[in-house]
Amino acid sequence: MHLEIKDLHKSFGSTQVLHGISFEVESGKALGFLGRNGAGKTTTLRILMNLFKQNKGEILLDGKKFRVTDHQVGYLPEERGLYPKKKVVDQLVYFGELRGLSPKEAKKNTDAWLERLGVMEYRDKKLESLSKGNQQKVQLAETFVCNPDIVVLDEPFSGLDPVNAQILKEIIREQIQAKKLVIFSSHQMGYIEEFCKDIALIHQGKIVLKGSLKDIKRTYGMNRLTLRDGVRTKEELKEILQNSLSSMLRSVEIHKEQLIIELHPGKEKREFLQRGLDLGLDIEGFSVYEPTLEDIFVDKAGDVS
Amino acid sequence: MKSFWIVLKFEILNFVKNKAYIIATGIICALLIIGISIPTIRDTFFSSSDDPSAEVPGQEQQFGYLNDAGGEVDTETLESVFIGGKLEEFQDREELEEAVSNGDLVAGFVITSPIEYQHILQNNEMYGASHFGFEEAFLQTYRMAGFEDLGMEYEEVEGLVNAPIQRETVILGTDSAANYLYTYILVFGLYFVIIVYGQTVASSVASEKSNRAMEVLVTSTKTEYLIFGKVVGGALAGAGQLAIILTTAMLAYQANRAAWNDQLDFLFDIPLSVLGSFAAFGILGYLFFLFIFGALGALVSRTEDVSTSATPITIIFVGVFMVSVMGMQNTDGMLLRVASFVPLSSFMAMFVRVSMGSVANWEVALSLGILLATTLFTGWLASKIYRMGTLMYGNRVKITTVIKLLFQSNEN
Repeated sequence: MHLEIKDLHKSFGSTQVLHGISFEVESGKALGFLGRNGAGKTTTLRILMNLFKQNKGEILLDGKKFRVTDHQVGYLPEERGLYPKKKVVDQLVYFGELRGLSPKEAKKNTDAWLERLGVMEYRDKKLESLSKGNQQKVQLAETFVCNPDIVVLDEPFSGLDPVNAQILKEIIREQIQAKKLVIFSSHQMGYIEEFCKDIALIHQGKIVLKGSLKDIKRTYGMNRLTLRDGVRTKEELKEILQNSLSSMLRSVEIHKEQLIIELHPGKEKREFLQRGLDLGLDIEGFSVYEPTLEDIFVDKAGDVS
Repeated sequence: MKSFWIVLKFEILNFVKNKAYIIATGIICALLIIGISIPTIRDTFFSSSDDPSAEVPGQEQQFGYLNDAGGEVDTETLESVFIGGKLEEFQDREELEEAVSNGDLVAGFVITSPIEYQHILQNNEMYGASHFGFEEAFLQTYRMAGFEDLGMEYEEVEGLVNAPIQRETVILGTDSAANYLYTYILVFGLYFVIIVYGQTVASSVASEKSNRAMEVLVTSTKTEYLIFGKVVGGALAGAGQLAIILTTAMLAYQANRAAWNDQLDFLFDIPLSVLGSFAAFGILGYLFFLFIFGALGALVSRTEDVSTSATPITIIFVGVFMVSVMGMQNTDGMLLRVASFVPLSSFMAMFVRVSMGSVANWEVALSLGILLATTLFTGWLASKIYRMGTLMYGNRVKITTVIKLLFQSNEN
């Protein structure tokens, strides 16, 4: 399956929230939908889920107009919500049946997911009697109970402790391996880096960066190198480089325990390395700098406005 | 369509499994059984089988009088014709007043002339009737003395004045008087279920919104199925409760029929045409109002706000009930006639006319047609408002705002 979001515009009253959002996702890959609070992630996902109607733009699945009720879609909304006064099993079976499962299948899937998420003992309890973390797991069971082909998770890791986050990670990996189409929004970069081959970064209602995470990182790291000396501190090394090799270097900076240097265009890594050895540096580490997603995120969406 | 049945099943089970529903139905049924069984209980435990003519326990009421009119009033006759209790003569006014003050007498009377007396009592009550029996006897004594003076036999005159007239009524139209009670019971039953279940449906929608289940629901199926399932579920639960209550009342009456001497037969002997019109108008009116309540529930974000949101429609509904009940006194009144075609009130007003008055078939068909069309339209509108209200959190949304937005979104 190939899902295309094309040129989505959305306004609430006189405030325009989305200014032409476009990105694509494919089965078997997870798309990380990134953005700061209020950037427009949830609005985009709600339009995808047909909760809001866009003012302009379209959503296509394999080239045809996408209607959420025509497909098995597992949706975890940002605002979690189920029936607090109803038994866990009753509501999961209800949601399963609403999404087209037979009562028997809905019960079977409910039990399987409750077991998988380690909350089987609460099957016949009212939801409100469960802890917040366990309620979150029931919500996840509700998302997956219909065995969806498309999985849309809005901030799935918020509120989960590390153990539960680990369980969810395994589930998301399984979904990707099972060739499901997975979109998940988050502002927790670590999770996105773990699962997503592709990302779309939204900032103030516009997509400011999208594509393969590997390529994006490579482009961002171009001409930047990291250097580590066996005997000198980063500060000492920085001073030597600035004094002796300034003609080759565009910048030298210390970033998170690493010394990052950027060569002038046309200067080669090999030449820089030779000059460094000639200076008597005890080079212990030398590599192409690969930025973290967080670095890219802060760079693209970090302005205070 | 399958989703509709799933929602319907879920909503009905919500009611049926609800303790409040079970307990309320149980209490109403128990009260009915007890109420209807009272004559049997009385006959069994409070009557003596040895003496069937035994009087109902209770002391005879005591009255006293003082004759200040001397021989002008025949006190012997007065005492003999007095039938409201025991009437005793006093010689002293103070004694009479003291006996009234002590509570020994219900009331005292001081006769000042053959047609004048003073009524002495401790406290005067709004509907006090302690002088009725005395006044009747006093008047009869006066008449008897008067006729005697004229040389006429009082019994003969009495036979002429109060001749026992025999009447037989032949009704060509509807017997409103006989239908009054069962019509009132049915109208009140309808009023009761709509008020109770209307609020319940509105609260149910508002709670789905406040606990955010709605966001998952509307992405799982069509909103039409959700609101129709919820409303029809609420309607069936209410109708079921009413049916259980009426059946219990009928069975309890059957079991106690002998003790009632068949006096309530007319209540359970409702003509099929009346039951049919009650079913048709009642069901449509019930659905019509539940759709409105459901849509109102979608306009608020918290269940606490439901009552505020539903107040205007509740006031209208109470007004409709008042018009219908008042119309039962005069089924040809203009107000009831108009109300029987307006969709907000026709379900109750037309039923009252069918049950208690004479109404042409075409009028019934027209009213039913208007109500059916309006109910379907309200259902459609409610589903749109429900959909529109889904993600409108925060303050209560005005109905006018939603309708405006609805038309805007249709234009887009």
